[in-house]
Amino acid sequence: MAGRTLFQKVVILGYGKVTSEVLQYVYDRQMEYGYELVFIEHEVHAFSTTEKICGNHGILFHRITDKKELAEFLDRIEEKTLIISASNNFLFPASLVEKAHITIINFHNALLPGYPGRNAPTWVIYRGEKTTGITWHYVTAGVDEGSIIIQKTCQITEDMKAYELAQCLMDLAAEAFRESFADILAECAGTREQGFDPDRHMYRSSEVPADGILDLTESPEEIYRLLRSVDYGKSAVFPPLQTTIDGRSAEILRYRKISGGKREEGEGLLYLPLGDDAALKIKYRFRDV
Amino acid sequence: MEEKILEILEEHCEEALDYEGDSMMEDGVIDSFTVINVVSDLEDEFDIEIDAKYVVAENFRNKEAIIALVQKLLEE
Repeated sequence: MAGRTLFQKVVILGYGKVTSEVLQYVYDRQMEYGYELVFIEHEVHAFSTTEKICGNHGILFHRITDKKELAEFLDRIEEKTLIISASNNFLFPASLVEKAHITIINFHNALLPGYPGRNAPTWVIYRGEKTTGITWHYVTAGVDEGSIIIQKTCQITEDMKAYELAQCLMDLAAEAFRESFADILAECAGTREQGFDPDRHMYRSSEVPADGILDLTESPEEIYRLLRSVDYGKSAVFPPLQTTIDGRSAEILRYRKISGGKREEGEGLLYLPLGDDAALKIKYRFRDV
Repeated sequence: MEEKILEILEEHCEEALDYEGDSMMEDGVIDSFTVINVVSDLEDEFDIEIDAKYVVAENFRNKEAIIALVQKLLEE
């Protein structure tokens, strides 16, 4: 039986795990609904699998890294279209958002109206939140302001790093998308307004927790939280944290929570007690060497 | 060295040990989050810095490529 939708085209925009899962799911439903499917890669990532998925299934793939070119591409769409912004930092122009034949939904990696803007996993860890979650919402001219389609929550565990939380949130986002997609296509998804505070803080990509300075006079727990909050592995989301050791500027290379007895000697190693039987091992290098 | 690398791989991605293809990422054996964990453990175990320029699909296409990467960094 054919699915019910008036959308003639579905455009997916994004990168990363959630985008791959959304792309695969939307492709799997394509025969049922009959829409044309287009994928746009705006930000190129080292481990992206979306091009491979498109190649395997014959999905129209566009790599458009230039913002102006992307805006023009989207502006040329004439059919009734659903644009899915799966994990994407491109801000849709108001002129596009306001078009009657265009509907845009976006995944945000926090529970809106809380933590709008960039790098939400970082800020929830840094602020010591115990729970966070994901939001799929309709896109309006404002950033992360549109009405909410679905939200799901998850716990932030005491050792969770930003990339681990990001992974958890992407899994939740894919799950929530699968639950909502049919209603979104049928334009009957239940929504609720965000009711946000106009004074809420919009996190920007240039903002770094603690201004990127690791203050060794802080408690080890606070230091550990800061380290975890900016930890996206080798993705240069933030510059390396800076600190001062013995009056010299140093850069943090890596860190690890270890059980108390596992200490080893070595240059550029620092240990801080962390709870009863654990320590925070920090590897650093002086900047003047 | 190889044995230790295989131990790290086993801990994060057991499938990688039996994989005989040439693209673990595209074949869904390993994902970008697992790569982060593997890189972190390799750096800690061998006290090396794996620069972001090395953290690309080519260097994580199979276990042999990962061993070769670590070998190269240890020799630098």
